Amino acid sequence: MGNKRDLSMFKYQFRWDTVWGSFDFLMGGLQMTLVISAITLVLAMLGGLIIALLDMSRFRVLRWIGISIGEVVRNTPILVQLLWVYYVLPIVFGVRIEALVALIIGLALYQASFISEVYRSGIQSVPKGHREAAQVLGLTPFQSFNRIVLPQAIRMTLPPLASNFVQLIKFSSLGAVISVSEITRRGMELSATNFRPLETFTFIAVVYFFICWPLAMAIRFWERRLQAR
Amino acid sequence: MSSTAPLILADGITKRFGANQVLTRVSLDVSERDVVCVVGPSGSGKTTLLRCLALLEEPSEGRVVMQGVPISTPAPNKQVKAAGRAVRSDIGMVFQHFNLWPHMSVLQNLIEAPIRVKKMPRDEAVAIAEALLKKVDLSDKRDAYPARLSGGQQQRVAIARALAMSPKVLLFDEATSALDPELRREVLAVMRQLAREGMTMLVVTHEMGFARHVGTRTVFMDRGEIVEAAPGAAFFDAPQTERAKRFLQQFEDE
Ligand SMILES: Nc1ncnc2c1ncn2[C@@H]1O[C@H](COP(=O)(O)OP(=O)(O)OP(=O)(O)O)[C@@H](O)[C@H]1O
Ligand SMILES: [Mg+2]
Repeated sequence: MGNKRDLSMFKYQFRWDTVWGSFDFLMGGLQMTLVISAITLVLAMLGGLIIALLDMSRFRVLRWIGISIGEVVRNTPILVQLLWVYYVLPIVFGVRIEALVALIIGLALYQASFISEVYRSGIQSVPKGHREAAQVLGLTPFQSFNRIVLPQAIRMTLPPLASNFVQLIKFSSLGAVISVSEITRRGMELSATNFRPLETFTFIAVVYFFICWPLAMAIRFWERRLQAR
Repeated sequence: MSSTAPLILADGITKRFGANQVLTRVSLDVSERDVVCVVGPSGSGKTTLLRCLALLEEPSEGRVVMQGVPISTPAPNKQVKAAGRAVRSDIGMVFQHFNLWPHMSVLQNLIEAPIRVKKMPRDEAVAIAEALLKKVDLSDKRDAYPARLSGGQQQRVAIARALAMSPKVLLFDEATSALDPELRREVLAVMRQLAREGMTMLVVTHEMGFARHVGTRTVFMDRGEIVEAAPGAAFFDAPQTERAKRFLQQFEDE
């Protein structure tokens, strides 16, 4: 039995031309993937800032809201969140949201809850002594945060933010489930017409890999350089 | 504000962290041109005392008084807070671990506070900073970043940074103990130079030679209390208490 399968594998006739024939179609999807990831990252950075500020707020209610958002988002599957945003939000608010918008909202919320932690650890990475030196010299708490803490914290948060971008490139493939026309969705559509899932999805995996892998390597290098300082 | 009032005074300071009482009614006055050296075993509360005087900690009891004006009390009122803010940059501090800002060059470290706090024009701040760098013998490191400097160089920059605000008193918290012996000397030389120029200094140190030869007064702390205080070398030549004698024995071979 195993033999027969091996044989059929061996005799498989690759038809890469079915992929090349739709190259532009798939690359258009890739463009969509990258645009979605970039927009989402920007929104998630803002959202992360809001969650971080809520977490650190002087008011208990705001802290509670910030912490709850983080906990709920981190402890439910992202796919469920996307489906929830796409199907439930319209019911609640009585407006139909486009799949693309739902995808961006869902992903941004998800990443924001992680990015808020990135901000927090970036700020905490600045030694207390640096702030105390500023305080003794007479800088106000605002000046100290602005001039001493923030510039150092930002430097520490840039690599994790770049990692978030890589994650978004991969997570945006979930948009396929709600018919957002990014590269994975286009692959699904293509394989449904050319009946060549092997070539199609292999090609798509390779595309993802050669975008994400160099980025991940560069980020690792960047982080090591920061640590060495 | 009489002219005989000490420049800075710890007035019966008690400090507790939770249930842990770290300072017990510590009183210490520092007058102009004094070089008061504080010695004592690890954990005796020397750093905490300095931090109270630098307004980094609030005393649990007692107060800090600068030239007759209370600048720090437990649960300070508006007036005390304002007085504290007003003299903030008159009290400089040099930390054990330098605490230079690593994202700024040496020059930027020096001009940041004069420009932001004193609203000094940049040119003037740079001129002062360059003069101070010359004084600590680091003119060639003006544009270097702290990570590029040795510990001794970093600490000299930190001293210059404190001096850039022309403080009335400079607090040193074991400024040399994070350094290798060879590097200590260059920092101690700068401190000795400052003392000669009449800088008012309160120096927490394990350098008994510095305390003996440069200090005008030595204060011995143990378990949160001032056990003994004596002028200059007298503390070393004739310690009065058992605790002080035992403490000094450790340094005999030095
Ligand atoms: N922020 C803090 N919270 C709680 N306990 C503290 C704090 N700062 C200091 N202590 C405690 O106060 C005591 C005195 O500490 P301090 O650093 O003032 O001693 P020290 O004389 O400077 O010692 P060393 O010579 O080791 O620097 C120690 O037991 C320390 O654990
Ligand atoms: Mg100490």
